[in-house]
Amino acid sequence: MEKTLEIQLKEINEADIVVGIPSYNNARTIGHVVRAVMAGLAKYFPRAKAVLVNSDGGSTDGTEEEVKRVQIEDFKTILTSHPVHPLSKIVTPYHGIPGKGSSFRTIFEAARLLNAKACAVVDSDLRSIAPEWVELLLRPVYEGGFDYVAPLYARHKFDGTITNSIVYPLTRALYGKRVRQPIGGDFGFSGELANFYLTKDVWETDVARFGIDIWMTTLAIAEGYKVCQSYLGAKIHDAKDPGSDLGPMFTQVVSSVSTLMGEYEPLWKKVKESEPIPTFGFHYEVGLEPVSVNVEHMIGNFRLGAKNLMEIWRRVILPETAPWLESIGRLSDEAFSFPEDLWVRIVYDFATAFHKGSVHREHLLKSMIPLYLGRVASFVKENQESSAREVEAKMESLCKVFEEMKSYLIERWEK
Amino acid sequence: MGMGEVWGVAISDSFNKFLGKVVTFLPNLLAMITILIIGFVIAWIVKKIIFHFLKAIQFDKVSERWGLAEVLSKGGVPYSPASLLSRFFYWVIVLITLIMGVNALDVPATQNFIAHFFNYLPHLFAAIIILIVGYLIAIFLGQAALIGAVNAQMDSARLLGRSVRWFIIILSVTMALYHLGIAEKVIIAAFTIIFGGIVLALALAFGWGGRDLAKDFLDRLYRKKEKEEKGQDHISHL
Repeated sequence: MEKTLEIQLKEINEADIVVGIPSYNNARTIGHVVRAVMAGLAKYFPRAKAVLVNSDGGSTDGTEEEVKRVQIEDFKTILTSHPVHPLSKIVTPYHGIPGKGSSFRTIFEAARLLNAKACAVVDSDLRSIAPEWVELLLRPVYEGGFDYVAPLYARHKFDGTITNSIVYPLTRALYGKRVRQPIGGDFGFSGELANFYLTKDVWETDVARFGIDIWMTTLAIAEGYKVCQSYLGAKIHDAKDPGSDLGPMFTQVVSSVSTLMGEYEPLWKKVKESEPIPTFGFHYEVGLEPVSVNVEHMIGNFRLGAKNLMEIWRRVILPETAPWLESIGRLSDEAFSFPEDLWVRIVYDFATAFHKGSVHREHLLKSMIPLYLGRVASFVKENQESSAREVEAKMESLCKVFEEMKSYLIERWEK
Repeated sequence: MGMGEVWGVAISDSFNKFLGKVVTFLPNLLAMITILIIGFVIAWIVKKIIFHFLKAIQFDKVSERWGLAEVLSKGGVPYSPASLLSRFFYWVIVLITLIMGVNALDVPATQNFIAHFFNYLPHLFAAIIILIVGYLIAIFLGQAALIGAVNAQMDSARLLGRSVRWFIIILSVTMALYHLGIAEKVIIAAFTIIFGGIVLALALAFGWGGRDLAKDFLDRLYRKKEKEEKGQDHISHL
């Protein structure tokens, strides 16, 4: 931990609540996020001693200044009473390999040193965060006896494709808890859970990068902590989150999911079905920004994969799956379709291959990207005219297939 | 001395000489047999130890990951990589044993050959290791290039993957031959010609034969930029 940070934390001595904001060049949006967090703390937890920690990855665009600039006077009109304790604000660089996970680690350490009861982390690129998010993420922990609060958002039907195609249905089928946004990025958690996270030696792995979200969620579920989710409304974030980052994002998240499958094998093999988890917050419909998806581009990528990567895929999938994929590769754009059961089979095959190490792991995950894009393209095509509710019903159907085909996973895993 | 006596002495002399040679040779023969027996036993033990060691470190799994197992099975080799490597060491020890055995016979004609052989042996080992490591690196990097090119939407992904693989194979074969001291100058000249040829071929392909490919590549790059500028395809994957 940074020496200056340690001194600052020792001066503060202890806190009831720690809210962490990881950042890297988010000057455009972080001011709004800090204002929302400060307002939320002042409004909903006026008696609590709270600390806001901005863990930064070396921003050069004035992110730090933006965080320091926000004052409580900026929003005192919304407060009915003045907070008992002044909010402490800390801006600190994090150490370790560059990534979201390393940034979170600094926040966990701050929570441990301050002996915090409840903590929350929120993304610094959020445009839709409101003070209520702070309450919704912290209250279940602060007063409700929960250890982990996952977010629940209203998202565009084509948003969050890794979540919808892989992480949510797989986590649900494996561990039996229906956490709808397991890699949402905004979480609440107890100080005890933060301490537990720090006991794990994972900070040189993909967990230190994009793998952190699924790692936190999976550990909370698998280690028996009390998990719930809070409805936060729309998730709109800064538009600098383009598809070009897909490679590292995809491999880091899927690698973390697959590594955790190896660690918690005895647990997930016993789970037979899934159950809903307690959900807080008032559910309401929101208008969402349109999302444009280039389906042809995705289908093209799948075809290129089917043409060139079949040799690698054959080392992962069953012999009868290969002709199926080849035939999909020959379909026209109009007729293109990647069925649910084929997709589930592929996810389970790749997870098994990752576990067995039959193909170099980085190559394995990167070679899965064209398959993933094929499935996403098919999903987008099928749901072009569907409403958000209908798409959610389709998601439910995909989750059911994941659960029904779990015996296939176990069979492949043990072979 | 009569003729018969001379004859008798000559015969007994040559018999004594032969007997003397046999008596001198016999310990060498016994030494050779002993060396061979011990050598074969050591070879067998080493083979077993190496095989179990390779199994313990999951060498077969690693080889499968690196594509070596697939290459062996495609080449009709009926052994697993661990078994093959342990057999290789077995035969190396057997070969050394045979040479030591022949050496023990103390026949002058073989001495020179054996001295040369032992001087050459480290180079041979180094060359084999260069070839094996080079081949594995070629497979690995070729596969990495192929996957990277597919994900970058390059139509020529397969060509790129193969080019990377063959370049490294040629490089490692050149290094191995150079290490063995086989026609060093010819090897370097051949490598320079091949490498220069590849570069020239690529230059020609891009400049002439691959005009369409280059055009497609630049078009794609331009279109991508244009799309990014227009803010298209803002799908969030997480």
